[in-house]
Amino acid sequence: MAFTIILAAFVLITPHWIAHYGAQQETGVYNSPPTLFQWPPSFAHPFGTDGASYDIFSEVMLALPTDLGIGVAIAGFALIVGGGLGLVAGFYDRPGHLSGYTSAFIMRVTDVFLAFPSLVLALALVASIGKGTIQAMIAIMLTWWPYYVRLVRGEVIAVKHLPYVTAARAAGVRETKILTRHVLRNVLEPVIVYFTLDIGTVLVIFSTISFVGVGVPYPSSSPEWGSMMSFYQLYYPFQLYWWAITFPALAIFLTVLSYSLLGDGLRDVLDPRSRRALAESAAHEPPPEANVGEPPVLPLPPDRGPSPGMAADLGGT
Amino acid sequence: MTEPVLKVENLSVDYEVGAGVFHAVSNVSFSLPPGRVVGIVGETGCGKSTLGQAIPRLLPEPPAHIRSGKIIFQGTDLVRVPRQKLPMVRGTSIGMIFQEPLNSLNPAFRVYDQIAESIQIRHWREIGDLPMFQPGPTPFDFSRRPVPTAGQVLSKPFLPGEQVQEAARHRLVTRDDYKREVLDYLRLVRINDPETILRLYPHELSGGMRQRIMIAMTLSQKPTLLIADEPTSALDVTIQAQVLTLMKELIEEVHASILFISHDLGVIAEMADDLGIMYAGALVEIGPIAEVFKAPRHPYTKALLRAIPAQYKTDGALPSIPGSVPNLSRLPSGCSFHPRCPLARPICRVNPPPGLPNLPHAAACHFSDEVATLP
Repeated sequence: MAFTIILAAFVLITPHWIAHYGAQQETGVYNSPPTLFQWPPSFAHPFGTDGASYDIFSEVMLALPTDLGIGVAIAGFALIVGGGLGLVAGFYDRPGHLSGYTSAFIMRVTDVFLAFPSLVLALALVASIGKGTIQAMIAIMLTWWPYYVRLVRGEVIAVKHLPYVTAARAAGVRETKILTRHVLRNVLEPVIVYFTLDIGTVLVIFSTISFVGVGVPYPSSSPEWGSMMSFYQLYYPFQLYWWAITFPALAIFLTVLSYSLLGDGLRDVLDPRSRRALAESAAHEPPPEANVGEPPVLPLPPDRGPSPGMAADLGGT
Repeated sequence: MTEPVLKVENLSVDYEVGAGVFHAVSNVSFSLPPGRVVGIVGETGCGKSTLGQAIPRLLPEPPAHIRSGKIIFQGTDLVRVPRQKLPMVRGTSIGMIFQEPLNSLNPAFRVYDQIAESIQIRHWREIGDLPMFQPGPTPFDFSRRPVPTAGQVLSKPFLPGEQVQEAARHRLVTRDDYKREVLDYLRLVRINDPETILRLYPHELSGGMRQRIMIAMTLSQKPTLLIADEPTSALDVTIQAQVLTLMKELIEEVHASILFISHDLGVIAEMADDLGIMYAGALVEIGPIAEVFKAPRHPYTKALLRAIPAQYKTDGALPSIPGSVPNLSRLPSGCSFHPRCPLARPICRVNPPPGLPNLPHAAACHFSDEVATLP
């Protein structure tokens, strides 16, 4: 995952280092004249070329920052909006009071959104607000937040009746601070893990929308894997030109997989009870002395007899 | 006679849930003088924890509901305090130690952060950054503030001189100051190697350690009244003895007023000055602990005392009280103890016993004088 992000950063900063033949549509300068001939993968073109002799490797690499960014942006919007609403709906739900009605209202709106399949709803939204990258992103953002409301609210409700929340309240901590410090910190871990896994899902949904043909247009100066696949499957049938559609699809697969791995790694970092946190705290302790040759001989404690403190401790009742 | 720190008058708490209304606490009255330890004893489900949590108004209030009564803490009726102002009573004024040491610390924060938060709350209240509870007959301004005149507003400086000094003073408090204070409190509760313990998470500590850290957190706020809700029942006997010894020393040093809730008469006997016995939500007997132990005036107390295992008794089974605590939503008529009472008479089935008389040692029983004379 780290490799993917570093690669994406490189592509963003210096696209021509990695994508040698990239952005040809933009500049109009072709490395080789368009031959209307498709080259299979070779040393010069690792992923092959398409009919206009565009280097598919460059296209895939140029799409990397776009796809990573779109996934993070959509899921991040959903996390902030949906997570915030979920926190409020879960924590302030006193029946019969303003907070209870607010919570109920948020949850009913969420239910309405959840009643539609989000892909279909997003497609309908794109159809109504027009094709394009930004429009597709807005459509998915609008359909994606309800899942986070549900998730965060459930976690908050599970946490807020635990004894340590009552203990914080008993110590005089104000309600808002209990929510933002004690509850939020304990809710964060599952939500962040879900978020990183979800970026992959969002990516698949976005690629689907592009594949259907209402998302990112292709050819374009900022290509996207879904729209590349859409274009290639139409003009370069798999049976003849297997490389054209395989490599964008492989890119999607690897990106989703790496987000999943990132989620697993974050789970280990965030949970104080996990192995990694234990190993970190063990690292504070001095390392055991290395005596390989002979087994250690433990000194026996001196025979002190019962200590006077123990009698005082136990003899009370 | 000094003014009691806490005075509970006719307090009744109900739980309104789907299965009905449970009268968890009904008509409980007692008072807690400064520097004394009042113990509350009762069976499981008799409402003693509800009573303890109702005093700082910690019960979740949709299911729970304070039906009637007053909780007068230093002259203020806490039942009438609006919810938003309750945090300023909790912590520095009424501290609480909970029953579950395993879950009462936040698993996501290190020991240092948890104790430092308590200290910070006290510190901010002392310097006036957070509102602090003021004892007295009218500590809360329930009415609107009077509208100031134009002259008052215009002549007022932006920050009074003393306030500038205060602001300068508390900016000087650093992380080191907090750390020193946290270490002091950890040493106070006899934690070895506090420098290491500071960095640990609660799950890395034993039950006894966690309970001692809980006590350190509560004490670090210097509460006027400490409510200890079964602080030792989740611990094993040796740890229990350590914690009790610690609390006893603290009582002697700090002269705190403590409401000590337990189901263990042995623990209570060691800690308390006064003893209250609860049964089915009601306080059935209260008095100085020596008198209650010597001459109980309620048959339930008598039966409880008889059920304590004696050290040298070798013959026969341990006497127990037949039956179990009645369902709090359907209490028996008359005296709620009559189905289990060996001395029950017809009047007990019909009339509820008279309320606790205003005596140092009182019991809610029709025949309390007679019970006291029985062997």
